[in-house]
Amino acid sequence: MIPALHRMTACIAVLMLIALPAWAHKASDSFIYVDPTQAQVRIDLALRDLALVLPLDSNGDGKLSGAEVRKGREAITRLVDQGLTLSNGSGPCQLTGRQWGVSRHSDGPYAAGRYQVSCPDSQVPESITYSLLFEQDPLHRALVSVTNSQGERLGVLAPDDRTMSLGTSTGTFGNSLKLFTTFLYEGIIHLLIGLDHILFLLVLMLPPTLPLKPRRSTQAPRGRDLRNRLLELVGIVTAFTVAHSVTLALAALNIVTLPIAWVETVIALSIAVAALNVFWPILGHKTWKLAFGFGLIHGFGFASVLGNLTSGVSQTVVALAGFNLGVELGQLMLLVVLFPLLYFCGRFRLYERAAVPAMLLMVGALSLYWVAERASAI
Amino acid sequence: MTRTTNRRTTTCFESCGLRRQSDADPWLTALPPALRRRAFSIVALVTALTLETALAAPAAIETEFDDQEILITLPSEALAPDTLPGTAPALADRIQEYLTQARAQGDPRYLGYAQGLFERWPEDRMTDRLKILRATLNQSLHRFEPARVELTAVLNSPNTNQRLASQARLTLANLELVQGHYQSAHAHCRQLANDFPGLIAASCLAQAQARTGNAKTAYESLQAQTHRSLAGDTISRIWAEGTLADIAAQLGKPQAETHWRQVLMLAPDDLYTRTQLADWLLERGKNEAVIELTNAYERVDSLAVIRAIAMKRHQHADADRLSAMLEERFAEARWRGTLLHQRDFARYALDLEEDAETALIHARANWRDQREPLDTRLLLRAARAAGDDSVLADIRAWLEKYNQRDARYPEARS
Repeated sequence: MIPALHRMTACIAVLMLIALPAWAHKASDSFIYVDPTQAQVRIDLALRDLALVLPLDSNGDGKLSGAEVRKGREAITRLVDQGLTLSNGSGPCQLTGRQWGVSRHSDGPYAAGRYQVSCPDSQVPESITYSLLFEQDPLHRALVSVTNSQGERLGVLAPDDRTMSLGTSTGTFGNSLKLFTTFLYEGIIHLLIGLDHILFLLVLMLPPTLPLKPRRSTQAPRGRDLRNRLLELVGIVTAFTVAHSVTLALAALNIVTLPIAWVETVIALSIAVAALNVFWPILGHKTWKLAFGFGLIHGFGFASVLGNLTSGVSQTVVALAGFNLGVELGQLMLLVVLFPLLYFCGRFRLYERAAVPAMLLMVGALSLYWVAERASAI
Repeated sequence: MTRTTNRRTTTCFESCGLRRQSDADPWLTALPPALRRRAFSIVALVTALTLETALAAPAAIETEFDDQEILITLPSEALAPDTLPGTAPALADRIQEYLTQARAQGDPRYLGYAQGLFERWPEDRMTDRLKILRATLNQSLHRFEPARVELTAVLNSPNTNQRLASQARLTLANLELVQGHYQSAHAHCRQLANDFPGLIAASCLAQAQARTGNAKTAYESLQAQTHRSLAGDTISRIWAEGTLADIAAQLGKPQAETHWRQVLMLAPDDLYTRTQLADWLLERGKNEAVIELTNAYERVDSLAVIRAIAMKRHQHADADRLSAMLEERFAEARWRGTLLHQRDFARYALDLEEDAETALIHARANWRDQREPLDTRLLLRAARAAGDDSVLADIRAWLEKYNQRDARYPEARS
């Protein structure tokens, strides 16, 4: 380039910058905002990109005036019709213009249109497909924002990935279901690998498996005896479940929070106390009351695990329900396996005389060790 | 020698996406391993289900705009992508024009147009020149490995003519320098000095030497050669002055500014050089000079970030406006996912948002690809601000390995 000409173009460039706001240079993006519940979609296309595919500059002066853009409205709308599709199971939905004008993003002015979306079955759209400008510019992208009751979800459509699910209807339900089952599984696993909860349950389970001394004289038939024991067990487990569900919910929803180190220590202590209580009922014979009291603390323990897993989950309630149900299921599985076994062992004197004391001693010792370990960590 | 490829590209237009950090979240380390693995699957699920970001609401749709108002000035018609040129040389000319525009304006749309043309051009009609241009495009898009493979193939092909081979070698040497592969860079520069002797090859060698512990010798010998060839062509002079500036800055010599200004006089649209000079001035507290130098360059991310920092330090009335503009720009870029200018975003996060953690993530991702002094210094600063000693140790070990000393980060070798 000859220097004079070079300098001239430089001058022109400077004038251009003074005349216009300093828009950033960025790669080419379209912006699409979908609100599936309102059945609305807004699309913003850069005027600069539109000028590549439509003859918007009707007077050929290299500039786009308001009038030229307004004149191009029909062509732009037709282009959007060809390149943007929302659809669901019943087929592609119809777009009806609601609002049209210009807007802006960081790199300059955009033509923006808002449309009402009506699908053949009058249901919400489920997916979006976009295919404008990719041929002219393979680095072009459509940045999609989907807003619904759960918040905003962002996506990007590219030449090799032109469709995205809007996460509506079945989609949202499917997601929630997936979340629920995942947390259900986590709940089961957490109970089954969490030794302290298992030991606590074991200790709670022992009294109903022991011969009922006061009632022995009544010579109750064996069937009724079993029924009473089962009722006692159900009472204990229900009390534990209700208590820890309440505190789990309170903690998971951030209504009450306790320092986890303390909670862990008290959980360990609860096992030792429960073990002691089998022989010396310092806290009374009603095991269910004990189960309820300590169940409250165990709930905070579950909550700390759940809290770690749900950071960033918007559907905390779904996660909480799944996790809690998982814990109960794990608990039930444990009871179904252990109780018949222990009940059967209860027939033998050796069980009451040796096995139970040995178990309680071991559990008590282990839990006291945990208490010491956890307390020293505080 | 083609001008398009003769400057280092440090700007990343695309494809320098956020790589997932391999480090575990802090809370994860507190969990036993078995639980940790499950937690990972949950975190992944949760991320997939709820990709939520706080984005500002889009600007309203303005329906009552004025008919007379000029909304936008379009780039010249000759620069719009249209039909595919019929011959390989015509295609190469066109692509070269796009790459030049992308570099001179810092406008990544032109890179997209260039790629669009390549995608429509049959592979069996690719010439060596087109291949070098495609490698340059890939380098601009931070696809370093495909660029390296293509350039190596051109160099290894027996039919490549000498001139194009030199162009390919210079481009490759440049790429290796940017990525910090100094041995390979040195070998290519030396070969270039054989095949295509002159200031460009000398600059190439000097740069490789300077980054590997011989900055002083490299500077003196390149300066002597530059004085000897006063009548050299403009492009060679630009190369030499740019390299002298960089080595001077590395040595902490105030002459760096003179060299850079020399380059800008010859090539005012050299954004790479303008950015380096602006950074140099900023580091010396010459905020007003930075604001003047970056005036009318707010649309270029690298310059806009430095300008915003200078404005903030100078308590300029426009500081908040520019910061807000950058915030919107980077929010859009992050939505797009492939962060346009990772280094610029990291610096924005560090110096304007004062968010050391975010800055460190991006400075680190940037440093995986690009290891020029400004990249290294940014990562050092971010790591120090975030208190990450292991990153500091990694950089120090790397600098030690190449015996790299730089006045811009003297503390790195404490």
